Amino acid sequence: MSSLLMMLLPIIIIQFILMIVALIDLVKIPQTNGPKWLWAIVIVCGNIIGSIIYFIFGRKQV
Amino acid sequence: MMQWRVLLQKEWRDHVRNLKILWIPIVFVLYGIMQPVMFYYMEDIMKAVGNMPEGVDMGITDMTSADVMASTVGQFHLIVALIVILSFMGVISKERKNRTAALLYVRPISFSAYYLSKLSGATIVALLSTVLGLLASFYYTMILYDEMDVWKCAALIGTYSLWVLFVVTVTLTASAVFSTGVAGTLAFLLTYFMQLIDSIIGQFWTVSPWKLGTYAITWLVAEPDSSDFWLSVVVTVIAILLLVIIGIWGTRKNVENIKI
Repeated sequence: MSSLLMMLLPIIIIQFILMIVALIDLVKIPQTNGPKWLWAIVIVCGNIIGSIIYFIFGRKQV
Repeated sequence: MMQWRVLLQKEWRDHVRNLKILWIPIVFVLYGIMQPVMFYYMEDIMKAVGNMPEGVDMGITDMTSADVMASTVGQFHLIVALIVILSFMGVISKERKNRTAALLYVRPISFSAYYLSKLSGATIVALLSTVLGLLASFYYTMILYDEMDVWKCAALIGTYSLWVLFVVTVTLTASAVFSTGVAGTLAFLLTYFMQLIDSIIGQFWTVSPWKLGTYAITWLVAEPDSSDFWLSVVVTVIAILLLVIIGIWGTRKNVENIKI
C-alpha cells in the first residue's frame, strides 16, 4: 500500500499546486467572468478540469 | 530582428502574467503521468471496485511499456490540441478588440515582426509543455514497466513537437485572419475534424500533417515507412510556412478592423 501512495503522491502534489495557483490567481484578479465565489467552487470541486476551465474561461482578459 | 525581440519580451511577460507558463505545463505533465500509473494499478482498482466475475483477464497485466506509452500519447493527443487552441485562439484577435493593437500599430512596427513574435511566444509555451509532459510520461513508464530505447523516445517527442507546432500555427493564423470565435472554430475544424476525416478515409493517402500523431506512436514499436514519414514532415513544414505567410497577410489586412 505504501508503494501505491509513493506513486500517487506526485500526482496529488501537482494537482494540489495547480489548485493553489488557480485559487491565488482568483483572489488577486480584480474581476472574473461571472461571480468569484462560483469560480472558487469550480476550482475546488472540479479537480484538474475545474482549474483548466477557470484559466481558460474565468479570467477576464482586459 | 530588434522589433521581434522587443515584441517577444512583451509576449513573454504576457504569458507569465496570465500564468500560461505555469498552468499549461502542469496540466500536460498531469495528463502524461496519470495514464501509466492508472494502467499499472488497474488490477488493484478493479479489485477494490469489485463486481468483477471470477477469472476475467482484461489483458492489462501483460502490457509492455510501448503499449502503455502508445495509449498515453493517444490520450495526450486529445488534450494537447484542445488546450493549445483554447488558450491561444484569442492571442491576436483579442488584441484588436481590446485596443492593445491600436497602441502597437501607431508605431512603425512591421507586421511580420508582430506576427512572428506572437507565434514564437505561443510556440515556446506549447512546446515546453509538450516536451515536459511527454518526458514525465516516459519517466513513469520506465519506472513502472520496462526500459525503453532513448532514441525512440526522442524520435517520438520530435515528431510530436512538429504536430504541436502545426496546431499552434493553425491557431495563430486563424486568430490573425478572423475574430476569436471564428478562429477557434476554424482551428478545431482544421485539427480535430480533419484528423477524423483522415482516420476514416485516410488509407488512400499516406502523406498528410494529420498523420504525424500516428507516425509518432509508430516510432515506439518500429520505424514508420521512412519515405512516407519524411514526406509528411516536409508537407507539414511547407504547410506551416504557408500558414505563416497567410498569418502575416491577415494581420496586415485586419488593420482597418482595429478598435480605437
